[in-house]
Amino acid sequence: MRRIALKIVGAQGQGINSIGEVISKSLKRSGYCVFGYREYMSVIKGGHSSFQIDISDKLIQSTDSIVDVLVTVNHHGLEWNLDDVRDGGIIVHDTLDWEWTPKDAASLKKRRIILVELPVEQILRELNAGSILGNVVLTAFLWFLLGGDPEMLRTIVREQFGHKGEEIVQKNFACIDAAMKFHREHSDKNTIDLPDPNPQWKNHLLLTGSQAMGLGIVHAGCRTYFGYPMTPSSPLLSYIADKQNETGMVVKQAEDEITAAQMMSGAMFAGTRAITATSGGGFDLMTETISLNGLIENPSVFVLAQRPGPATGLPTWTAQGDLLLAVGSSHGEFPRLVMSVSDAQDCFALMPEAFNYAEEFQTPVIVMTDKQTAEAFWTEEPFDQIKAQVRRGRLVVNAKELKKIKSTDRYDPDAKDGISKRWLPGTDAANYCAQGDEHNADGSIDESAPNAKAQMEKRMRKMEKLKGVLPEPELFGAKDPELLIVSWGSNKGVILDVMKTLGMKTSKLGYLHYAYLWPLKTQRFETLAKKAKKVVLIECNNQGQLGMLLKQECGIGIDEKILKYDGRPFFYDELSSKLRTCVS
Amino acid sequence: MKIPLDLQTGGPSMKDYLSPNKCTWCDGCGDYGVWTATKRALVELGIHPWQVLLCFDVGCNGNGSDKIGGYRFHGLHGRVISFAAGAKLANPRLTVIASGGDGASFSEGIGHFVHGIRSNYPIVFVLHNNANYGLTTGQASAVTWQGQAMNGSPNGIPERTLQSMDFVFSLEPTFVARGFGGDIPQLTNILKAAIQHRGFAFVDILQACPTFNHFATHEWLLEHVYDVQEEGHDMSDFIKARMIAVDTSKRISTGILYQNEDVPDFYERLVSRQGSTVTPVEEVQKTDVENLMQEFV
Repeated sequence: MRRIALKIVGAQGQGINSIGEVISKSLKRSGYCVFGYREYMSVIKGGHSSFQIDISDKLIQSTDSIVDVLVTVNHHGLEWNLDDVRDGGIIVHDTLDWEWTPKDAASLKKRRIILVELPVEQILRELNAGSILGNVVLTAFLWFLLGGDPEMLRTIVREQFGHKGEEIVQKNFACIDAAMKFHREHSDKNTIDLPDPNPQWKNHLLLTGSQAMGLGIVHAGCRTYFGYPMTPSSPLLSYIADKQNETGMVVKQAEDEITAAQMMSGAMFAGTRAITATSGGGFDLMTETISLNGLIENPSVFVLAQRPGPATGLPTWTAQGDLLLAVGSSHGEFPRLVMSVSDAQDCFALMPEAFNYAEEFQTPVIVMTDKQTAEAFWTEEPFDQIKAQVRRGRLVVNAKELKKIKSTDRYDPDAKDGISKRWLPGTDAANYCAQGDEHNADGSIDESAPNAKAQMEKRMRKMEKLKGVLPEPELFGAKDPELLIVSWGSNKGVILDVMKTLGMKTSKLGYLHYAYLWPLKTQRFETLAKKAKKVVLIECNNQGQLGMLLKQECGIGIDEKILKYDGRPFFYDELSSKLRTCVS
Repeated sequence: MKIPLDLQTGGPSMKDYLSPNKCTWCDGCGDYGVWTATKRALVELGIHPWQVLLCFDVGCNGNGSDKIGGYRFHGLHGRVISFAAGAKLANPRLTVIASGGDGASFSEGIGHFVHGIRSNYPIVFVLHNNANYGLTTGQASAVTWQGQAMNGSPNGIPERTLQSMDFVFSLEPTFVARGFGGDIPQLTNILKAAIQHRGFAFVDILQACPTFNHFATHEWLLEHVYDVQEEGHDMSDFIKARMIAVDTSKRISTGILYQNEDVPDFYERLVSRQGSTVTPVEEVQKTDVENLMQEFV
């Protein structure tokens, strides 16, 4: 499988993302699968940031650490990103009077790197266009370097900027023409040879994990969102908020994460579907509320978007260091479900399930994601709208049944599987108290020993039942793998991409992907691990947290670990070489 | 005043709000008065127990969560306003009353209190104000008088007392009332007005804590309170209301101090809900996202 990679670098606020998004979309519409990856720092202006696009005619869901083309909109890229370019690759920049250090000049020559100086300012002057249009010149030039069709670019630019008026659109078009002319006259030999396009990608969606999750939340019938800004959960808040007038959802940016968690819990208790999202530090603040929901048996959904900690850590980078936090958060013992999305498809399809499990088991559900899944751009098939169900468990809404209900049905300790009837305030029925103190069947405070034991056992029976109904982890690749890879979350994309190439070397390669992480199903893992010659754990954390849980739950430890905890996701070539060592 | 104890009128009666559980408050606790006035206000307004959600913070007020009828919630310390607001936004047809003590409102949960007023959520917030942490055996709260020796501060508390009413008025509230746990008829009227208020109704209830509050006792409060309604107070006069709320040096104003119904409540302000005739609770169903997906193609 051929992969091509482009990287656009520059200071934050210079419009790197808009170049990346226009190119990505133009490529996808032309018949390519693209995977967009963003790096940026926790500042508004000035930090060095990048947008990388990895391209193929086949499914691609990972980032290479070496690129074919580097576009740099300021001179910092010429200082800091030279090593990112493949031998024989191209660097496009607009720093015309740049003086290379002798060392860099020698390296560039030795590596046969082609330098293209694009006189953006001069082109803009000739067009009498403002500096804001510089990015359009760069975008267009990059597009022609890729051999792109000018009409496609015009279409995408019109879609993007059409709302600003025809005059702006025409100015953009003039920049496209000027870039085309420059490419033809000065640089027509410098082109990137893309594989033949595959029309299947044209009608796919190109979106971030956060946007896909937003769609999944709307699809699940969620009607209220309560949040507080914290990267990398903020893009979800932005998406849901931006769409509220179309969806009619109640969206509230609360005064802090505790409030967001409490408001979500109140809204769920009242009977709508509600959600909140945050990252590690905010999640810490929410944990007391998670415990409360465990005791009052209130369905509740928390999105935990991971970034590297501890403390403020690396705010704009990725990690999987919060698995044990999700599993062990909050005081006391109560049932919970911890699950994780891995790509845009999961972000959409697992959200209805998160709500379903929350309502069926009347308990908190924690949906984990990370910066990589949340902010990467994924090429996905339009989401299936048939499969999802809305399952609300033992929620009673029928008037006849409500008439028969007794207060003591709410927390009936003898309820099957520990799941008692639930009904909503505002329905004409016997009342109860959603009681945060230990309580008896109708929610009255009861500190007696037999009651405390009975109620704890009632709640924990739900955990047993939940473990029973959760799906086993999904196995990709060989049915009977000699080399078994175990991982979760956003590593899935890069693992599957690497397996496609490693697969040629070994047909006995399998990947066991954990989407449901607590309660932890281990049967399939145990069977496969016992038969495999080698098991490899891959995680973006320091301790191998999934490995720790697996050992705790079934006694099988994984000795071979590929762990990464520098804020970056696994890159395709990096993981490829690490896994190759395991295969050989 | 007529109190329907058990009338066959179809409306709710006091009996409907009865709980089989026995009260566990101390003799002479102000909570008895609040408890009785709350039931009376609901009954007099014709609100059935199934139409109301009573939310309780942690503290002695929360020990009342299973001593009254209605749908109830008893949550975490300091967080009751947020939970109650979430429930109300999900189902605006519910009557939602949140209760919390002075510890919850002026220390642990002061941020929620500030933003509750600012957001003008259409809920009632009843402050059970006994000027100390009763349930944890008498520690000082932010409104305990400075210098008082309390559990945990035997030398008298060094902090200055929070000027709670000045603070509340600085937040531009739309409804402020002060009641007294010993005057149930007045408290009933206050709570009825609060329940019917357009936005966030703040009801500060001064109440005795016979076990731990030895400075503002029931008798002391009785001697100092007066009813502003009896003196013809203009509830729309913000400046006057603030003045009589804050100045308690000689006597303590009670009654409805301030009300402004010209400010839309939070839900009314939501552009996304304009024209909607059903509540978010009634809208839970699988939702087609075909249109939303278009921008990503």
